[in-house]
Amino acid sequence: MVFLTLSCWIRSRGPDRYWKVQELLKHARHFRGRKNRCYKLAVRAVRRAFVYATKSRRLKKRNMRTLWITRIAAASREHGMKYPILMHNLMKSSVQLNRRVVSELAVTEPRTFLSLTKLAKARQQEGFCAALGDGKEPPGVFSRVVLLQ
Amino acid sequence: MTARATPSRFLKSVLQNGVGRYVCQLKRVSIIFSKNAQSSLGVRDFIEEGVVDYAKKNPGTVVYVSPQSCRIPKIVAEYLNGNVREEIITSKTSPQISELLTKLTDQSGLDIIRIRKPFYTNNPSIQGQWHPFTNRPLSIGPIRPQKESAE
Repeated sequence: MVFLTLSCWIRSRGPDRYWKVQELLKHARHFRGRKNRCYKLAVRAVRRAFVYATKSRRLKKRNMRTLWITRIAAASREHGMKYPILMHNLMKSSVQLNRRVVSELAVTEPRTFLSLTKLAKARQQEGFCAALGDGKEPPGVFSRVVLLQ
Repeated sequence: MTARATPSRFLKSVLQNGVGRYVCQLKRVSIIFSKNAQSSLGVRDFIEEGVVDYAKKNPGTVVYVSPQSCRIPKIVAEYLNGNVREEIITSKTSPQISELLTKLTDQSGLDIIRIRKPFYTNNPSIQGQWHPFTNRPLSIGPIRPQKESAE
């Protein structure tokens, strides 16, 4: 008698399990605890990490903008101005600098930022004169915006 | 693909390449193709027409043309910093292959991973970076030598 059914019970499984597991674990190597070693725990953690990464691509833009606004507000308060006044008057004098650039100027070029605050203050004063003083004298230099064509 | 899990680098040029003279960072280009397969048709056309012109235009790059019996034709580009880049060119036309070669020539050999910032400076601040005492008036006046003690 020869047992023939034994060899029929041997299954040949997929040969690539190690590499598929490693592909997932490489995204979990910087995690804390068993999530960086054990596949079952790492699957859930990596999926969460990817979901967070997707969601935070939108959040990053918002957070960076609030950071810039905070920095510009702090820097302008050092010079005795407030953030909304500064930005509104810069916009009215057609200084088209976005918040990112103005915050970088406030950090790396403090004297340029001081001159920007002075410009905004002057434009604010001209705005007040134009509103209160019945516009007899010319409103001023900074409120005359030249459109280059 | 999280930012922490994948490698990233800062923007860099290899040894400030363009500032003085420009050195082409591509060291060696090996074109591996087959003489009779259908997938290497575009490669064979490129080798008939464009390879010699390319080699003459880039005198600093060595071009190796190696016909072997292979299923997939490849271009293997080696750079001066040791990085090797393999591009598969199955079923590409000759102008597409020359475009690919110009792209490889213009690249420096640095890794193609996420670049953290699209700029790089050695001198980020010209007027002096802000510190808490930049906009404060001095609490002491100018320091002068003490005349009272001499008198």
